[in-house]
Amino acid sequence: MTQELLMSSTETRGRPGVRRYAMVIDVRRCIGCMACQVACKAEYDVPLGVFRTWVPYRVTGKYPTVKKQFLPRLCNHCDDPPCVRACPVEATYKLEDGGFVLQHYDRCIGCKACMASCPYNARFMLPEHRTYTDITKVVDKCTFCYHRVIQGLVPACVQTCVGRSRIFGDINDPNSEVSQLVARHATQVLRPEQGTKPHVFYIGADRSLTDYGRAVYHKDEQADIERAAFNRNKHI
Amino acid sequence: MNEYTVFHTMAWPSAYAIYFFVIGISSALFFFSALSWFREDYRPLRENAFYASFVLLAVGGLLLIGDLSQPGRFLNILNPAYLNFQSPLAWGGLNLISFGLVAVLYFFMMRKGDEVNGKRLAIIGSLLALGLPIYTGFDLTVHQHRPVWNTPLMPVLFVGLSLVSGAAVASFLTKGSEAANSAMRRMMLWSGGAVGAMLISLLGTTAYGGVGAELTFMFLTSGTLGLIFIGLGIIAGTAVPIVLLLAPLGRQQVGMMTASVLILVGGMALRYSILYGGQILQTYY
Amino acid sequence: MLKLTRRTFLKASAGTTAAAVAAPSMLRAMEADLGGRDIDPVSLIERKSIPTNCHVCNIQDGALAFVENGRVVKLEGNPEHVSTRGRLCAKGNAGMWYSYDPDRILYPLKRVGKRGEGKWKRISWDEAYNEIAARLDDVLTNGHPNEIMLKWGRNRTGGVLERFMHTLGSATILNHTSVCESSKKIGMEPTWGPDIEMPDFANTKYVLNFGSNVLEAAYFHNPFSQRVTEGRVDSNMKIVTFDVRLSNTAGFSDEWIPVYPGTDGAVALALGHVILRENLQDSDFIENWTNVSVQELKDHYKQFTPEWAAKLSGVPVETIERIAREFATTKPATTYTYRGPAKHMYGSYNEKACMMLPIMTGNIEKRGGYCLPRGMGYDQPQPQPPKPATPSYLAHPDEYPLAGHKVSHLVPFWITEGKQKIKVYFSYQDNPVYTNPGADAVWGELFRNEELIPFYVCLSPFMGEEAQLADIILPDVPYLERWEPESMPSSLWPWLAIRQPVIKPLGEGKETRVYLQELIHKLDPDGSRGMKKFWGFKSAEDYLRKQFENIPGLKEAGGLDFLKKHGVWPIYGKLNPRTGKISDKSGREIAAEYGLYRKELSAADMAGAMVDGKGAIHKNGKVIGVQRKGRNYVGFPTHDRLINVRVDQWAEYGFNPMPTFKRMPWHENMKDDEMILTTFKLNVHKQSRTAAVKWLAEISHANPAWLGTETAAKLGIKTGDLIRIESGVGHIVTKALVTEGIHPKVIAVSTAHGHWGYGRLAQLKLKEAAGQYGAADDPDLKNVWWDDKGVHPNHIIPAVADPIGGSQGWYDTVVKVSKAQPGDKYGDMVADWNKHVQWYKEGMRYTYVGDMHRKMHPEMASWAGPDSVKHKATGGH
Ligand SMILES: Nc1nc2c(c(=O)[nH]1)N[C@H]1C(S)=C(S)[C@@H](COP(=O)(O)OP(=O)(O)OC[C@H]3O[C@@H](n4cnc5c(=O)[nH]c(N)nc54)[C@H](O)[C@@H]3O)O[C@H]1N2
Ligand SMILES: Nc1nc2c(c(=O)[nH]1)N[C@H]1C(S)=C(S)[C@@H](COP(=O)(O)OP(=O)(O)OC[C@H]3O[C@@H](n4cnc5c(=O)[nH]c(N)nc54)[C@H](O)[C@@H]3O)O[C@H]1N2
Ligand code: SF4
Ligand code: SF4
Ligand code: SF4
Ligand code: SF4
Ligand code: SF4
Ligand SMILES: [Mo]
Repeated sequence: MTQELLMSSTETRGRPGVRRYAMVIDVRRCIGCMACQVACKAEYDVPLGVFRTWVPYRVTGKYPTVKKQFLPRLCNHCDDPPCVRACPVEATYKLEDGGFVLQHYDRCIGCKACMASCPYNARFMLPEHRTYTDITKVVDKCTFCYHRVIQGLVPACVQTCVGRSRIFGDINDPNSEVSQLVARHATQVLRPEQGTKPHVFYIGADRSLTDYGRAVYHKDEQADIERAAFNRNKHI
Repeated sequence: MNEYTVFHTMAWPSAYAIYFFVIGISSALFFFSALSWFREDYRPLRENAFYASFVLLAVGGLLLIGDLSQPGRFLNILNPAYLNFQSPLAWGGLNLISFGLVAVLYFFMMRKGDEVNGKRLAIIGSLLALGLPIYTGFDLTVHQHRPVWNTPLMPVLFVGLSLVSGAAVASFLTKGSEAANSAMRRMMLWSGGAVGAMLISLLGTTAYGGVGAELTFMFLTSGTLGLIFIGLGIIAGTAVPIVLLLAPLGRQQVGMMTASVLILVGGMALRYSILYGGQILQTYY
Repeated sequence: MLKLTRRTFLKASAGTTAAAVAAPSMLRAMEADLGGRDIDPVSLIERKSIPTNCHVCNIQDGALAFVENGRVVKLEGNPEHVSTRGRLCAKGNAGMWYSYDPDRILYPLKRVGKRGEGKWKRISWDEAYNEIAARLDDVLTNGHPNEIMLKWGRNRTGGVLERFMHTLGSATILNHTSVCESSKKIGMEPTWGPDIEMPDFANTKYVLNFGSNVLEAAYFHNPFSQRVTEGRVDSNMKIVTFDVRLSNTAGFSDEWIPVYPGTDGAVALALGHVILRENLQDSDFIENWTNVSVQELKDHYKQFTPEWAAKLSGVPVETIERIAREFATTKPATTYTYRGPAKHMYGSYNEKACMMLPIMTGNIEKRGGYCLPRGMGYDQPQPQPPKPATPSYLAHPDEYPLAGHKVSHLVPFWITEGKQKIKVYFSYQDNPVYTNPGADAVWGELFRNEELIPFYVCLSPFMGEEAQLADIILPDVPYLERWEPESMPSSLWPWLAIRQPVIKPLGEGKETRVYLQELIHKLDPDGSRGMKKFWGFKSAEDYLRKQFENIPGLKEAGGLDFLKKHGVWPIYGKLNPRTGKISDKSGREIAAEYGLYRKELSAADMAGAMVDGKGAIHKNGKVIGVQRKGRNYVGFPTHDRLINVRVDQWAEYGFNPMPTFKRMPWHENMKDDEMILTTFKLNVHKQSRTAAVKWLAEISHANPAWLGTETAAKLGIKTGDLIRIESGVGHIVTKALVTEGIHPKVIAVSTAHGHWGYGRLAQLKLKEAAGQYGAADDPDLKNVWWDDKGVHPNHIIPAVADPIGGSQGWYDTVVKVSKAQPGDKYGDMVADWNKHVQWYKEGMRYTYVGDMHRKMHPEMASWAGPDSVKHKATGGH
């Protein structure tokens, strides 16, 4: 994307001199193994009931012509993130170099305005109990593995991705793999109409997977039984 | 199918709806008390409405703080180093606190019977009071991706809801004054009518919106939420009281009392269903 | 010396495979490192990394454990591991929860009260040794050593358990392979040697997948899934999956072909029929490398018409014909199978029929084709105890002479019938009370009977369904706390690896090789019984050091010390962040060796050898290779170094030696309201042992029964409805899940859920106090929100064995499905021992000595009958 398309001062894609990290998720390669989801849990001691990344699926078609497809999800590290706008105390902020959208845990008051403002359900409230980390009862989300990336490592979910479906890198660097993938493939982002400028790009995600609201048309009753249990028993 | 069940919670559960309800009434009551400095028919409401407003403000403030997961850090909102003016919540916090301060000063002037300062504070306080439903409305409006919430109507609707619910409460505080009663009746009719009109246009834009809005409309008009929104909020809590107030019975004490109770039930139901309605669909995404 | 087993026969030497292939990817890919380090997100301190080997499931991927403050906080794939390439699956990423299970057993326990009552007393190791030694002593002085039995599920000890049993002189050693995939092994071994194939997914153009759920389970889920996605996206391969339900693999495939259960063999034969009919076979390969001629094959396959197969399998004739042509004309192509075809009453025939396809199309050992497995072995420290003198019936039952991987799931019936007496029973990583057919109704019945099993010692860190019924539990340790040698043929490159303790055993936990030595020393304190001399290890590490002492190449690299540092050997290259593949020094992907059977014999090999008229190279009474066009090739690891399309040994017992298909007799006259119950694995669970792993249980904790939309509509069943599934031996009550993704005649229930043991999380009894057996609590378990633990199907699955391979017919059970009846409760599991016995007896009628055998094999009319059979000692594995 070029400079002319930048619409707000917060955007760093295409801005010279700064890095702008992005993830490309090639849905054709995602086998729904959930390795990413669990690796992320381990990396951050993420408690039960909440997820920094998750991999929902859809079954489409009629017997015997049926497909099952997965759509890995996480924070989009939006270039124009509504969550940052919504936070009254700047506990959630965007890092200029890298474009990470991050949290100051010790500042967060827990008003959940950022949760309400994220179109992607990427944020959650940390429950009171965790295994060994004492950051609790504040809002959390995927950090694009900031602590790993700044030390030259790919994010944990990318590291373990069995299908090599997740690719990570600096999209401001035209030679990076993410830049090349985005340049060479048709990519999709989630809910582009929201103007958030997501920096998680999908390859091969058709609208039956990405459409907002479609899941409700095809409500999976089994999930609804579970959802009821979740709503009944969660302690968050 | 029997696997990968990841669910999302709603950001703002029912405590927020109660807060909206309480704070809306508080602000309207202050406004009525303030009006008493300028209009005789509101005079009987001055003290009663103010006290009620103040108690509700305290309750609302506590609710708001209590709902934070880190209530101890509430003061962060006042920390100039942290303040983010892009956030309606930041404005809201300032608004709420300055309103509280003005209300305290107003209280002293009211007790002193200081016409000049009382009037000044009444005006300042009213503006701040008006700010409360407006900011709560904005709090929802700014979420561009949420059907129902993301409409310029929302702040106005919240002002309307504030006035109609406030009037309903105030109608119990008139100490039997004919003039005040009829003022409150008019207030309920006008603001109730306005709320009704806004709800109809809201339903229209939601029903004929995009896929998200359309599904939200389905949620809002069916099942339990439909019962709350349409049944309690629109019919029992808006349409019925208006009809009742227009009818001869509405000019009598019982009629007005009934209408007021219905309006309050409706006011709560509307805030709850609008708050929920805007969030349900996304929990499936 | 490398130990040569069938699997490891084809060890390729480490150095020779590093030649590079051309054309590296154009992408200048991920700039950052792909792994090998990890950093605490809060303190930003680098975590300590220790290489080891995953054993959450049995794929055995290379792993790194990251330790912080003495706690394993993160696991990752070992980036130096050629198969794993730095990645782990969901289960592997959650492996630390085996160690930190709050319900783990951390000291020896002795039963107080009745068996299975759940009352335990903490005892010292010494008390435990005394009790066990006294029992063993009693058998060794008053009985027969074979009365001591040991059955394992997983045994990655590298020979420790065998050494223990052989030290005691007992041959009653059993495994779980008959409930696993044994008929697949038996279908393959006599044909070409090894018990598994190595499909070159990354380079193939076409895959016919028969009943393997490789993207969720199978051998080797993680390494193979990596290559399946590579093949599919990077080299445009097509994958067609036959399964009775839409597994993730089927859902990912270009085509999912639902087959009628158990009929893959028929489809495969018909595919072969079309290939041969249309002359699309590789005649050269067949003539040179198999023991049949093209003409013989054509004649034999004539009978297997697509019309015949379509009727049995429901796969349309046109589909069979189209796929046959696609498969035969796309090169390279491969098949892949796992338990889908094999776990049926005649599963060995099914497997054999499937593997014929790559054979007849000449795709064997080609780049992108169907390759032989590459494995490596390690040593057994000397001296070793001798093999026991007397064979054990239970380990080698007469009725199943071809079942080289044993028939362990029928053991309870045989013990009950008095075929062999058992006085002391050891179990190791084996939970038959949960994982076997009949489950508690069979194995629970056996273990609760103190006359049949007078003394039961369970070696396990967990209070599984089996441990609950034991007399003594010894707190073995999970994989992150022990030493073990490892090797698996999980890619085209062979490797050796170790498991090493990344944390010290928690509590009083001890590893197997340590406590078994201590037990032997207790039995033979002064060595006078001749046992102690086999157990002179200074430590667990010392034991392992001896196993790796003399391996050529590794020895020079540093032996065990090298493995302690790297986790795996050899290291073929570096994980390339640009490609996610292993690159050599020039940056290009390492190349594999193909055509192993075409390796030429050396002059030394040929010295003194004699070549017969058919080209077989004989030496010292054995065939060591095959001569073709003047060249001397090593061939395949079979008795004649050829692929045995015709398995003569089968004919000796009246089984058809040629590829064939037999229909399950009880699928023949099924009534309209009857269906077939199948069961399957999920990507995030490992049979019985992950239900207490919180991150996995969170993803999947319940197992509603899958029912097709049309079927459900007929039965008036909706998703979430309570249903009753009734088989010949009992019924369960569970919930329905209506889906488009299943064959209309099939109902599918996954395994891993519905526990009645295995701690509080598996049973959702989280209100009970944690740490009953000494482990620390996990505060996160307060966040458990789900309240459905699922229902286990195994109670109502009868134990039936493949008369050839001895394998359990898991996917054959005929059931009636209906809405739940009044009084039925979710989770009801009702099954009856006597009915199970009847079914077991029915199954025995199909063995080669049974009355149904001949009826099933009219084509073998000239067979002289069971009495004609000369019994040979069968080889155990
Ligand atoms: N995640 C995970 N991975 C594992 C394991 C685990 O427990 N969990 N266990 C490991 C072990 S021990 C093993 S043996 C392997 C097993 O690996 P797989 O054999 O791949 O897995 P299963 O689920 O046992 O069975 C495979 C498929 O067979 C299908 N099936 C049933 N009947 C038929 C039939 O008649 N025809 C066909 N074509 N398909 C049929 C089932 O629907 C199922 O999808 O997995 C290994 N990997
Ligand atoms: N319904 C149904 N049943 C099935 C299958 C299916 O697909 N469906 N699959 C079948 C297959 S393929 C197989 S291979 C079998 C597997 O059957 P099993 O081998 O019985 O099952 P596992 O769950 O692998 O492990 C068994 C036990 O090992 C113990 N254990 C776990 N970790 C350790 C350890 O570190 N040390 C020690 N000493 N013990 C430990 C635990 O007590 C656990 O209960 O199940 C079979 N059962
Ligand atoms: S995805 Fe949500 S949380 Fe992440 S940056 Fe965008 S708005 Fe914020
Ligand atoms: S919950 Fe925390 S991060 Fe989110 S908006 Fe409120 S203060 Fe900011
Ligand atoms: S980038 Fe890091 S924090 Fe984000 S989902 Fe992946 S592993 Fe989790
Ligand atoms: S690890 Fe990769 S392949 Fe597996 S579910 Fe996650 S994104 Fe998909
Ligand atoms: S498949 Fe998963 S659980 Fe099994 S060994 Fe590999 S990483 Fe570990
Ligand atoms: Mo297995």
